[in-house]
Amino acid sequence: MINIVDMLKEISISGDQIVRSAALLGAGIAMGVGAIGPGIGEGFAAGKACEGISKRPEESGLLTRTMLVGQAVSESTGIYSLVIALLLIFVVA
Amino acid sequence: MNEVGSIDTTSFQIGDLNIVFNHHTLIMIWIVIFVICITLYLLTRNMTKIPSRGQTVVEMLIDYFDQLAKESLGENHRRYLPFIVTIFLFVLVSNWIGIVPLMDEPTKDLNTPMGIGILVLFVTIYSGIRYNGFFGFVKEFFEPVWFLFPINVVGEIGKFISLIFRLFGNVFGGTVIVWVGFTMLLKTWWTGWVLLFLGPALYGFFGLFIGAIQAFVFTMLSMTYISIVKN
Repeated sequence: MINIVDMLKEISISGDQIVRSAALLGAGIAMGVGAIGPGIGEGFAAGKACEGISKRPEESGLLTRTMLVGQAVSESTGIYSLVIALLLIFVVA
Repeated sequence: MNEVGSIDTTSFQIGDLNIVFNHHTLIMIWIVIFVICITLYLLTRNMTKIPSRGQTVVEMLIDYFDQLAKESLGENHRRYLPFIVTIFLFVLVSNWIGIVPLMDEPTKDLNTPMGIGILVLFVTIYSGIRYNGFFGFVKEFFEPVWFLFPINVVGEIGKFISLIFRLFGNVFGGTVIVWVGFTMLLKTWWTGWVLLFLGPALYGFFGLFIGAIQAFVFTMLSMTYISIVKN
């Protein structure tokens, strides 16, 4: 008969492993939460650009260009979270 | 790419200095430069009044950026035009060369976007000093009240940090997603067949589409930063 307390005593987790698992978990959470904001923001920008193009189709080139630049700027928070996640994965863990 | 995120380096010692070269990135940068130079040389070798097909492509590219620069930079936009088109071509070919087998994007290494970003920072400072004078340029940092100087400096540098990390993050994230997809799909034989159709789509989206958009965005934002300082 195997005692569950003895089984738990067999598993020894060192501090390094806790740090590593916490860093990997943090990377996942950072990327997942950080991707929400840019997704919503870029969707808004694309929707407004669609409205603008439907109102004035002759300005579609300018609208698309402005939309791309605006989306790229609003994407930077997502990129920051990507950089934090990469730091956690490759430097901390 | 054996392990994701690793970059091949060579290091050697001179005295107390330990000098590290990312030789893979350096070789790829030189390949990109040669590709751009040879292509542009071949396309514009014998220019004629009635352009040939290759010459038309280059003329369309230059015309497009000439128009963009005229809109955002105003007069004297021709001064910055060569710099802007060079940045665009370099970043574009850097992002696109990753789809060639055995070749990696130089922009996957953080040092390459950082080099271009620092170059843009210096050009921005140069144009600010040129159009506002040195004291006018420095006065901008003390603008509403004098004690906001540190915040203004941090804000100015933060723009370029986000510019650098946007390019790096997009390209590197793309390569990581392609790598993850390939390693997951190569596990079993039947997902290997999925890879046959999904692989080109992954490379097409992350290499060609995202690469072109990021090159354009990098160029547009550099142009915008130069034009903000001018006014």
